[in-house]
Amino acid sequence: MPAISDLIMPKLGLTMTEGTIDEWALAPGDSFSSGDLVLVVETDKIANEIEAPADGTLHEIIVPVGETVPVGTVLARWDVGATAPAATHPPDAANNGEPSEVTAAEPAATAVVGGAGGGARVVATPLARRIADQERVDLHTVSGTGPKGRIKAEDVRKATLVAPAISEQPEPAGPPMAGTRLTPTAYQSAVAKRLTEAKRDTPHFYLSTEANVGALLDRRQRLNAENADLRISINHLIIAAVGKALGDIPQANRVWADGEILQFDTTDVGVAVTTNDGLFVPILRDIAPRGLGSVASSARDIVTRARDRALSQQDMTGGAITVSNAGMFDVTYMGSIINPGQSSILGVGSIRKIFRPDDEGRPVLCQEMGLVLSCDHRIFDGVGGLAFLNGIKDYLETPCKLLA
Amino acid sequence: MGEVRFGQAINLALDESLENDPSVVVFGEDIARPGGPFGVTRGLQAKYGELRVRDTPISEATLVSAAVGAAMSGLKPVVEIMFMDFITLAMDGLVNQAAKARFMFGGQCSVPMVLRTPHGGGLNAGPQHSQCLEAWCAHIPGLKVVVPSNPADAYGLLKAAIADPDPVIFVENKALYAAKGPMEDAPGPLEIGQAHIARPGTDVTVVTYGATVKTALRSAGSLSESGIELEVIDLRSIQPWDEATVLASLSRTHRLIILHEAVTAFGTGAEIAARMADVGFDELDAPIVRVGAPFMPVPFAASLESQYLPDADDLIAAVHKVLA
Repeated sequence: MPAISDLIMPKLGLTMTEGTIDEWALAPGDSFSSGDLVLVVETDKIANEIEAPADGTLHEIIVPVGETVPVGTVLARWDVGATAPAATHPPDAANNGEPSEVTAAEPAATAVVGGAGGGARVVATPLARRIADQERVDLHTVSGTGPKGRIKAEDVRKATLVAPAISEQPEPAGPPMAGTRLTPTAYQSAVAKRLTEAKRDTPHFYLSTEANVGALLDRRQRLNAENADLRISINHLIIAAVGKALGDIPQANRVWADGEILQFDTTDVGVAVTTNDGLFVPILRDIAPRGLGSVASSARDIVTRARDRALSQQDMTGGAITVSNAGMFDVTYMGSIINPGQSSILGVGSIRKIFRPDDEGRPVLCQEMGLVLSCDHRIFDGVGGLAFLNGIKDYLETPCKLLA
Repeated sequence: MGEVRFGQAINLALDESLENDPSVVVFGEDIARPGGPFGVTRGLQAKYGELRVRDTPISEATLVSAAVGAAMSGLKPVVEIMFMDFITLAMDGLVNQAAKARFMFGGQCSVPMVLRTPHGGGLNAGPQHSQCLEAWCAHIPGLKVVVPSNPADAYGLLKAAIADPDPVIFVENKALYAAKGPMEDAPGPLEIGQAHIARPGTDVTVVTYGATVKTALRSAGSLSESGIELEVIDLRSIQPWDEATVLASLSRTHRLIILHEAVTAFGTGAEIAARMADVGFDELDAPIVRVGAPFMPVPFAASLESQYLPDADDLIAAVHKVLA
């Protein structure tokens, strides 16, 4: 029996905590069929098309285009067939046909819609509130795993393990800063939140070195000259080198996940891609066993899809490391922030010509690339990080091994 | 004594009460010579005579009012209403007289009567022979309401009800009459208002009474296999009900479901939920959920009635809801 229910902000990825309404494909009163586009939700990574799980009617839009709201927030009221999946509330499990229960609105959830300034009402169980009060945890900083994003006691207990208690914060002193205040876009807010969390919650350390890539550049030139379709870029070679090093050193292919260490089975490598819509990190799968041609074509494909906004959430999930290549700009070393959920990132600088002494002390013109590996100290110690970085460097400096 | 049937346990409690206390009398429709529609009073008239165990005319108003008068003048009547549905006809004697006498006469008299009556569906007996109306009685200050879930409790609670100085509604689920259960040789009376933890557990408290205690225990068994431990509380008595035991359990599990066969709306579960939302507020880590019958008359057809009655699947769905 169709009944009006809430369409809520879906959780589209493991780390998704909020989403922005990009587009409503329907207006209130519109009917839709199963599979029709209902709305587009933008997360910090990607725009997701949300389709209707069944036939129905959209009654009311609660969150307008452009607003960013937490996972679980009621976005609209609709009536949709009984097969509605996660994006709607599941049919009331204990529903016993009592009329008052069938049509029960969820007033607490509708109140979640935040006002200006992000002062969204916190939805938490009484026990969660009591524990938060005792442990002095700010519930605004806790993400809920219950229905509609409700914060449960367990969520607060987990939060107390990672977040410090609220401290007495002094009132900001002094006159207000001069200048024009700009409202960040949804994307800017999302990036700010994500990277703040990543830098705050991941204990970073940094290792840097240079790779002499003269031989690699020669080899690339010859490969491309002799194989018309290959079109291998420096970046493809770096991705391949990182993938092979990950294969050699499984300890580097791990991430810290909710208090546990997750060892990946495949040598997946993320690639930072700048697009007109912002920075994306799609993941290339299982690089180590693959040939350069295969790596190059996958990389080209995923970059194209990133620029066409055609990446799925799946495309951006997983991997322990990202390669961020700034070689097209003028930079020697780039220390990067580890992508949330991963354990390292390789910042690649531009290739520079530089004289280095050979074994006899005579100057030799070399081509070098600065490499900075940012490591999560929960996964790497200094020695482990150096082994990984030197493994990557070794492949870059010995292209025969890379091609093997 | 080993295993006895639910109906036998009630018969035994009546028998012993008639034996031990000459002021105990038993009457109702077809309870004497025929031994009651479910055989619960079988053999009592032959043993204790037509004066103490007697059939009445088919008038619930008369027989209950007679019991109120008899109780106020020194007897301890135990009367039977053949189906709880017919308690409608006896409400004046029960609600306006029996429940009020102690209060209105300044404690100078009480009404030590017991009204036994079967409730519940499952027998395809239709809308007028299947209802669970115990919440009506529990709503009346001055009435006590007990609902046993097994033979030993039925025996112990009926003994306590007969000994109680105030009117007690003793509700027997029809589906339980044939059920067997263990009983000691000479069990003592139970305390009215004292719940029993039928199964200890850590994850969700399920408060229930009567026939649905079995439903809860069955669900608890199957959920245990997937690592979910229900704590099943058999209230035994819904007026008064054991708030302390329920609150203590909620304080351990932080999740509460109330299960009963009666219609959910305005039912016993509503009272318990409201009370726990008050005194147990800070213990709750999930909404309180009720599982009961839908808001409709009990259907006649077996196919519909089986859908109507709350079952283990309904409870399991509710458990998953509160654990979500």
